[in-house]
Amino acid sequence: MESLSPMFGPDLNFPRGLTSARAAEILARDGPNALTPPKSTPEIIKFLKQMVGGFSILLWVGALLCWIAFGIQVAQGVASAFDNLYLGVVLALVVILTGIFAYYQEAKSTNIMASFSKMIPQQALVIRDGEKREVSAEQLVVGDMVEIKGGDRIPADIRLIFAQGCKVDNSSLTGESEPQSRSCDFTHENPLETKNIAFYSTTCLEGTATGMVINTGDQTIIGRIASLASGVGNEKTPIAIEIEHFVHIVAGVAVSIGVLFFIIAVSMKYKVLDSIIFLIGIIVANVPEGLLATVTVSLSLTAKRMAKKNCLVKNLEAVETLGSTSIICSDKTGTLTQNRMTVAHLWFDDQIYSADTSEEQTTQSFDQSSQSWAALSKVVTLCNRAEFKPGQENVPIMKRVVVGDASETALLKFAEVILGDVMGIRKRNRKLAEIPFNSTNKFQLSIHETEDPNDKRFLMVMKGAPERILERCSTIMINGEEQPLDRERAEAFQTAYMELGGLGERVLGFCHLYLPEDEFPDTYPFDTDSMNFPTSNLCFVGLLSMIDPPRSTVPDAVSKCRSAGIKVIMVTGDHPITAKAIAKSVGIISANSETVEDIAKRLNVPVEQVNKEDARAAVINGMELKDMTTEQLDEILINHSEIVFARTSPQQKLIIVEGCQRQDAVVAVTGDGVNDSPALKKADIGIAMGIAGSDAAKNAADMILLDDNFASIVTGVEEGRLIFDNLKKTIAYTLTKNIAELCPFLIYIIASVPLPIGTITILFIDLGTDIIPSVALAYEKAESDIMNRRPRHKKKDRLVNEQLAVYSYLQIGIIQSIGAFLAYFTVYAEQGWLPNTLLGLRVNWEDDYYNDIEDSYGQEWTRYQRTYLQWTGYTAFFVSITIQQVADLIIRKTRRNSIFQQGLLRNKVIWVGIVSQIAIALILSYGLGSVTALNFTPLRVQYWFVAMPYAILIWVYDEIRKLFIRQYPGSWWDKNMYY
Amino acid sequence: MARGKAKEGDGNWKKFIWNSEKKEFLGRTGGSWFKILLFYLIFYGCLAGIFIGTIQVMLLTISEFEPKYQDRVAPPGLTVIPRVLKTEISFSIADAKSYQEYVAGLNKFLKDYDPDQQTSDMVFDNCAEKPEDYMNRGEFSNVQGQKKVCRFKRDWLENCSGILDPSYGYKDGKPCVVIKLNRVLGFKPKPPLNDSLPPEMMGKYNPYVLPVHCFAKKEEDVDKIGTIEYYGMAGYAGFPLQYYPYYGKLLQPKYLQPLLAVQFTNLTYDTEVRVECKVYGENIGYSDKDRFQGRFEVKFDIKSS
Repeated sequence: MESLSPMFGPDLNFPRGLTSARAAEILARDGPNALTPPKSTPEIIKFLKQMVGGFSILLWVGALLCWIAFGIQVAQGVASAFDNLYLGVVLALVVILTGIFAYYQEAKSTNIMASFSKMIPQQALVIRDGEKREVSAEQLVVGDMVEIKGGDRIPADIRLIFAQGCKVDNSSLTGESEPQSRSCDFTHENPLETKNIAFYSTTCLEGTATGMVINTGDQTIIGRIASLASGVGNEKTPIAIEIEHFVHIVAGVAVSIGVLFFIIAVSMKYKVLDSIIFLIGIIVANVPEGLLATVTVSLSLTAKRMAKKNCLVKNLEAVETLGSTSIICSDKTGTLTQNRMTVAHLWFDDQIYSADTSEEQTTQSFDQSSQSWAALSKVVTLCNRAEFKPGQENVPIMKRVVVGDASETALLKFAEVILGDVMGIRKRNRKLAEIPFNSTNKFQLSIHETEDPNDKRFLMVMKGAPERILERCSTIMINGEEQPLDRERAEAFQTAYMELGGLGERVLGFCHLYLPEDEFPDTYPFDTDSMNFPTSNLCFVGLLSMIDPPRSTVPDAVSKCRSAGIKVIMVTGDHPITAKAIAKSVGIISANSETVEDIAKRLNVPVEQVNKEDARAAVINGMELKDMTTEQLDEILINHSEIVFARTSPQQKLIIVEGCQRQDAVVAVTGDGVNDSPALKKADIGIAMGIAGSDAAKNAADMILLDDNFASIVTGVEEGRLIFDNLKKTIAYTLTKNIAELCPFLIYIIASVPLPIGTITILFIDLGTDIIPSVALAYEKAESDIMNRRPRHKKKDRLVNEQLAVYSYLQIGIIQSIGAFLAYFTVYAEQGWLPNTLLGLRVNWEDDYYNDIEDSYGQEWTRYQRTYLQWTGYTAFFVSITIQQVADLIIRKTRRNSIFQQGLLRNKVIWVGIVSQIAIALILSYGLGSVTALNFTPLRVQYWFVAMPYAILIWVYDEIRKLFIRQYPGSWWDKNMYY
Repeated sequence: MARGKAKEGDGNWKKFIWNSEKKEFLGRTGGSWFKILLFYLIFYGCLAGIFIGTIQVMLLTISEFEPKYQDRVAPPGLTVIPRVLKTEISFSIADAKSYQEYVAGLNKFLKDYDPDQQTSDMVFDNCAEKPEDYMNRGEFSNVQGQKKVCRFKRDWLENCSGILDPSYGYKDGKPCVVIKLNRVLGFKPKPPLNDSLPPEMMGKYNPYVLPVHCFAKKEEDVDKIGTIEYYGMAGYAGFPLQYYPYYGKLLQPKYLQPLLAVQFTNLTYDTEVRVECKVYGENIGYSDKDRFQGRFEVKFDIKSS
């Protein structure tokens, strides 16, 4: 304050403001009062990143090797050189297309800053050169004097120097549902707590104020939150980590086998060029080209399914994140609660009544027969300035728009629900005088005529802070009778007040007085300034308490999260008492859990003596959190299963999320306010509320709950867990055939047989027949109740584990390979080349000028005849893999249960996949068999069935595997065979 | 494939390879390795058994005397001997070394046609020494034992037989090549109808000969190609039918396919001359993709010095 005063001179009360010249100077120094958008990566860099991510590098290497081979072969005049050119082009195309696909997916997620900048108010009323003028808010500078009034958005962070009845809505910044009054008094050293600062981007609800700009643009609190949010790096999603892990495994296998066989080939005296071509084949065979696209498609299918259930997923990978979530940090206001004050309890006739606080209340069921209630309801109805906006007769009461502050609104709606037609009642009880609520009186009163024409008395009604109201009363109404307010009654009041206050509710007291007819005749001139009427010795009628009540679906959702092994932590900017009360009512703190403080109170010992491990619950205040070390926070997160953080700042929310992440937890954060956005961004998955949520929150989030229903998260968790299981199946399915694609090359190199399958043909499996079936696995239903198991451990339950890789590669993959080799040998044998003739044949077979090679029968083959036979072999091998992949697809439906338990027909999409697979194979063989470049030939019908016994073997073997897993859980078999 | 485990602790490679606390090698103890290796031994043992079993079953369905399908090998290819790289015969008359490879190729190929290889009457049939009709020798089975084959005398190739001139004309710049029709089991080539032949071949028409004709591939080479001499059985430029059908390696191990030698006696030197030779027949096919089916192309590049 001292540092500020010189800036506007000694004349504090009649500020002249800055001079225009000075303002321009400061503007030049500080820049405009706007949030700077974060540096965004250029689009081209993002695009190029996609081009080198995943398997792309391997495939680029493959393409490059192809072109090198092409160059050398062209120089040598080899006839088949162009095959390598085409293959290189195809590989490059595959990379580019999958890259474009991934880029398009990423481009869909929008920029977080967009909405922060949208929040800037357009104009501000500023005092400069001693006169008021409207300037664009961007022109504001530190030191400017601005005036604000009800309805305005605060144009910058402002230190108030004059305020009259000023209230601001800070809910998006701090999470407080109630309007906060603002005055000139410095009340707290924390800028977020003190009453004399109004924050940029919050709204002034009522009153007027004048203040000096203390921060502009990025320096404002909201600016700092914004930079905090954009400063938080986008953490890799768990599924991205899993996919990266999987890519590493596959790439590792590909590179090591490739290099190994390159060395083997060179040492077997193959030409280096040939060895390079082998290397290309091995890379292409090992890389599941279509898999990453398949994963994206599967995720987006789930995302669509979730969108139907009101979970809108912005970042595709977040679909799975929710499934692996182990901690949900939930904001209170607007997420767990309805963000609207509602009457929760009443106290009259010495008794506490509960009111219905659900979202769609139409009646209230407490006992309304007492005369006291009639009196109380009258006070509630009349002593209230809030009004419905006209023209809402058909709108449900709870949804009507009201002019007035939050608690008056609550009272109005409460009265309307019970009595109906509040406005009519008010009309019949004409208001004669009124004193609105102010912070000095802490009460509000009004004087009315009564609706009873025979009763000429006036009714004075009053409400306000309960203790202030009680002070003014001498009697209390019990069962409709006025009774003296003795000590005992006063104590009963105190107990009730404390109890309701302890529930975190805001309590209001109500009293009335019928003014005697003789003293106050019809014409009595009521004057509110001199208060020429009694304001003491009134009759106390009752208490009403209000709270922002929890959403009705939340308790159930919280308990479902519990049973799914997910810890729910409340993190709010609101007061600890309110927070704890809400936490208890939604089950975040369960009924029989106690905090350290509770135990201390119960045992009547100091807090320090309580064994911390006895307390399951903990309520931590932001102030305590500020002084905690990282270790202490970790200790709290580990030791308590039910935790509430209250009075937390945006930074602290971030710290809490980080703390949870240190425990290797996958953290979901739900929130709706601007103050939540850094935490939303930091979380593994940020979930914003769609209706109540601020744009900043929505932008920082990965997922948006369209119906603001916390319960939708449970659906999301279920879908996320399912997709994780199903992706496992998809990957297992896809990896299997890679061995069947790889073995031909290995055998080709080692045994020098004619090449069983070509690289182009492999691409047709990876990007043709296999695509739809692998997506179809995403539609598979869960094998057991996935909501009853614990969330997966981020570092232990991998998407692709050793068992999955080994079972797919070394067992099913090998069976598939030999099945396909059977078809290969059959084709050659039936054409005159018995298996033993094939061994060691490669060099002559591939000699372009050797046109009379003898087969097993002494027939002589030209080069082209051999090539054509080789393509027939490719086709047979391809068809055999396809047929066996059908079996593979069926066995992958389940990992533990028998296929017959799961039902063969329940997932119709699988059958679409199988049909598509066979249809594509048929088209390739018979339709495109004449296109030379594709290396397919029309195949004799019987060759489609050669691998069938192996397909059946795969199915039977896998059924046996699953049977043993079910029969002998925990056995050697289970440990090694369950993936 | 224990790689999956290895990735868990990136810094713990050493520990992963040999964990002395748990006595684990690559994440498994000795006992565990024994079990898993035993499992795979049995597993792959069974698979190998099944594979060999199915291959045997497949082979049972295949006759050892006759292939099940021949749609890929017929119609047959036409091959030139010597086999030359890039179908180019290029040599220098003065340098014997430059054509040594071709001579050796011809020598090697014609060895089977030497008279001393064809002495046994058990194996060789006394076929007529002029073209005759197909010689059917019964079923494709060994019920009657091995089948006899017709003799083909090397000296029928005259100047190109290598008997008179061991250099097959190469030293005089008059190179010989030998042409054969690729063997296809049971294949009976059908001579063309007389009127479907090019006019210059009409004169030597014989219904029991599958005619072969060589000519310049390109228009501009027509006058560079000079005279072409054909040496075959009884002077016919083609393959006599009595050598067909072929009964396969098992039934006719000593089978001699009919040959035709072609000598280019007046080729233009020091330039590339492209020659195409073609066999004509009703069931002989040509293909754009297969340039050795029923025809072949050879390029001569003879250096005079």
